[in-house]
Amino acid sequence: MIQGSANPHGHSQLQTLLPRESLLWIFAAQLAVLLPHFAHLPLWLLGAWTVAVYWRLEVYRGRREIPGRLVKLLAVSLAVLGLVLTYRRWFALEPMVALLAVSFTLKNIELVSRRDALLSLMLAYFLAATLFVFEQTIPYALYGMLCVVLITAALAAQQGKGSARPGRALGLSAKLLAQAVPVMLLLFVVMPRLGPLWAVPQNSAKASTGISDSMSPGDFSELSKSDKPALRISFDGPLPPPEQRYWRGLVYTHFDGRRWSEPDLEQYYASWRRGRGRSQGVSGAAESEQTLPAVGPRYRYQVIQEASHSPWLFSLARPHSETEGVSATGDDTLVYRMPVASRLAYDVRSWPRESLARDEPLSAAEERRHLQLPGSGNPEARAWAQARLAEGMGAEQISTALLDLYHRNFTYTLRPPALGRDSVDEFLFSTRQGFCEHFASSYVFTMRAAGVPARVVAGYQGGEWVEQQEYLLVRQYDAHAWAEIWLPGRGWVRVDPTAAVAPERIRDGLQTAAAEEFMQDALLPLHKIALVTRLRLQWDMINYRWYQTVVSFDRERQEGLLTRLLGEVSPLRLALLLGLPVLLALAALLLWLHLSSRGPALPTVSRLYLRFCRRMARAGFARNPGEAPGDYARRIEREVPRLGPMARQITLAYERAAYGDSGSSAAAERQLRRLLRGFWPRRRARPTSVQSV
Amino acid sequence: MLGKLSANRETSNSGDQPRRLFHKHWQRWLGRRAPAANSVTLNHRKLFVIPSLAGMGFVLVIALLWLLGTNYENNLVFALTFLLVGLFVVLPVHTFANLSGLKLQLVEAEPTFAGDYGQARIRLHKSGKRFHERVRLAWPPEEGQLVDVTEGRDGREIRLDLPLVQRGRVRAPRILVESRFPLGLFRCWSWVDLDVEFLVYPQPKSAGPLPLGASTGDGERELAHTQSGDDFAGLKHYQPGDSLRHVAWKQYAGGRDLYSKEYASGSDARLWLDWDLLAGRDVETRLSNLCAWILDAERAQVPYGLRLPGQTVAPALGSAHKTYLLGLLALFPVQGVRA
Repeated sequence: MIQGSANPHGHSQLQTLLPRESLLWIFAAQLAVLLPHFAHLPLWLLGAWTVAVYWRLEVYRGRREIPGRLVKLLAVSLAVLGLVLTYRRWFALEPMVALLAVSFTLKNIELVSRRDALLSLMLAYFLAATLFVFEQTIPYALYGMLCVVLITAALAAQQGKGSARPGRALGLSAKLLAQAVPVMLLLFVVMPRLGPLWAVPQNSAKASTGISDSMSPGDFSELSKSDKPALRISFDGPLPPPEQRYWRGLVYTHFDGRRWSEPDLEQYYASWRRGRGRSQGVSGAAESEQTLPAVGPRYRYQVIQEASHSPWLFSLARPHSETEGVSATGDDTLVYRMPVASRLAYDVRSWPRESLARDEPLSAAEERRHLQLPGSGNPEARAWAQARLAEGMGAEQISTALLDLYHRNFTYTLRPPALGRDSVDEFLFSTRQGFCEHFASSYVFTMRAAGVPARVVAGYQGGEWVEQQEYLLVRQYDAHAWAEIWLPGRGWVRVDPTAAVAPERIRDGLQTAAAEEFMQDALLPLHKIALVTRLRLQWDMINYRWYQTVVSFDRERQEGLLTRLLGEVSPLRLALLLGLPVLLALAALLLWLHLSSRGPALPTVSRLYLRFCRRMARAGFARNPGEAPGDYARRIEREVPRLGPMARQITLAYERAAYGDSGSSAAAERQLRRLLRGFWPRRRARPTSVQSV
Repeated sequence: MLGKLSANRETSNSGDQPRRLFHKHWQRWLGRRAPAANSVTLNHRKLFVIPSLAGMGFVLVIALLWLLGTNYENNLVFALTFLLVGLFVVLPVHTFANLSGLKLQLVEAEPTFAGDYGQARIRLHKSGKRFHERVRLAWPPEEGQLVDVTEGRDGREIRLDLPLVQRGRVRAPRILVESRFPLGLFRCWSWVDLDVEFLVYPQPKSAGPLPLGASTGDGERELAHTQSGDDFAGLKHYQPGDSLRHVAWKQYAGGRDLYSKEYASGSDARLWLDWDLLAGRDVETRLSNLCAWILDAERAQVPYGLRLPGQTVAPALGSAHKTYLLGLLALFPVQGVRA
């Protein structure tokens, strides 16, 4: 600080202002923080950062000057232009982080004084934190921790050459942070979570994998190539049997001849953004205010959903959730109030469908919605449906006939042949090979052609049971599409056409159903090695634990934990929980200060002799500073004859114990102890001491 | 308490009364809490800790991080926030511990000339096992010195500069001892009074060549044997006109005649630096001129004597003589003797 206040503007003094190790530490910390960000930041930023750092190091070497105002202005406008060209939208997470990174970068070229260095490092702390907004996994957490250690070390290195040695700076930083950890844990548990204070831009990164808001042929076979986790579901109570594990995500009602989609979703989100859509269903408020059935829920479970960057959540049929931000749609699914940008946990109760059997028919609007078909196309399928109707079949019979058709003539494959314009016709009457989306699509189309309200449901089916942690791990390749038809008197009934072709897909999962084709494109067929599979499950378990305990530690969990710790959450107990450790820490600190400020311990003999001196002092006859023990004893003999002989003996014993050879000194020390035990000199009666107090 | 130097500075802006009053109280309070002594060990009674400006910035970062964590409901951001809070909690302890136990000992305050820097030699020891790093000692607004005290027994000696403008005996103000170790986010400091007193000689101001042979005196000084001088040369019979001061009263009391004591000095080239030679100038200028002459004479190796009002030092040479004479000049009363 001293040099910094001296002359922050003189270029000639640069070297003394920010020494080399100072700069290198700052750049190291910056690089560490920026490195993971480059995954989503534009590449030119990396270039800009490198140039800025290079320039600053050249200035240090004396080959260049700190850029003038014009160059700085140019750099700022270039960076702003870059940001504008890269990001169209400003209210989003990436541009904000990019802005931070840019300011960071530009600051480098005018890194002159200590103050600039500190500012840069403070920014680095902040940028390190934004890393967690993108990812909250264990590796990221560890990396973020590493960054914080580095930044703190860089801060320590600003103190001077001695502190800037790598070992010293890192050691100091690690020591300080280790001491900060107890405070962190305490605050983490106790500090109230207020919930968002205002709307913030969310991570708008496109979903890498996952179910999208529309379904066209080929989408799901794409998903089957990914073994990334999608959901982790733990149950409180019974587990549904494998053939009932249908995790409904979203419902498609609109078909344009090739693509299934849900047009009302856009509307829903438009209204949500205006702040009104929170409790409204996709198709109006049809079922949003439904009363909970009298029969208890069949399943209670918690779903932890990976970031999907879309708002829909996954649950069994008839879900009800009281988790904040989760609401039900009229299509019997759950949605979140915003796209799920990072892992999200929600609790769900699901009722058996039967308990909610409805007698009232579909409303006219709903019926129209679920019978919609494009004006033309796929004539053969329509004709087939009309023929069944002409035969006088009911909805259930037509469905059975169709499933029977699938069962007899169709094959289930991950690599279906490409389909042309009339995709349903081609699939039903010529190729006859397909994946779940082909079956669901053709089934719903045909049922609608036969006048039966029907819809496509997309989600996941199945899941892998993880024994030790007791949760169901659902991966992306468990993505599935099936159908639901409306039967008067029974309501919506699930029909899975895939089950008619490949029942093992539903029972045992994709891995068994399409064993030969499964994960064929994977670089290494890791899923075939048992050990690797087990290790991956272990890793997933650790992740699950991490998520359960740390990432999803919300207000409810906090309350639960505090109740478990304190018995009852009252202000007094909270204060105790906060105050007690603080007091303990303070006491420990004082003790440490006391101990570390004392010099090396004195030998026993010296301590014994000092005890003698203290007792003499209490008797009103203190030893003068620097007075030799022998002189002291003689002075005592002279001035206080009654204590003289004892003092002489003790001094003699001390001198022998301290300076004698090892044999006699042990005996002398024992003697010294013995003498001291009986030596309690009384205070001299002095006239002056009487009148005091 | 602050000494003449700063006391004089204070009087120059006598306008702000409250500030001076506060200053006085502050100094008195400090005096009670950390009394002056040549050897001082810093402890909790004398040390103060507050966040530095950078520390305030750190608090701002913590606040922003908390907002980030709250708005994104992100527990890892919270964890980081609380970790930094923890850091902020433990830091003052380290900053304090870094100074606590530091022992300062005044070795010597070297005399100097007005207008120059006075140097105090101060020895720093550690009293415990702890090091004292990045310790800054200064007489603000001077920059002072940055030191690391890592040696125990012998300690480390530093020289601290204080600009001195006025001659005389100058009591130095309190020394600022501060440190921002380990991260610069907290500042721990103390105002230590090591009872430093500088002897400040007048600022040398040339008054022309040495006044060799220039004598204001009466005739007697032109004699080889004079009644003032270095060496006792012998006795001669008293003649009227001889100074009564030089009468050999002892001999007279012993029943002998009245004798005058006679002194011999080297030669007539003996140099008298005489106050009266500089008549017409003010006191301080005269002292400055005498000071310059003393230095010149010492450099030229010409024995020199000094005549001040009420005080006369016989000519001699050598650094002890010089120091003595300079001391006389330094402590010459401010108002002079005769107006």
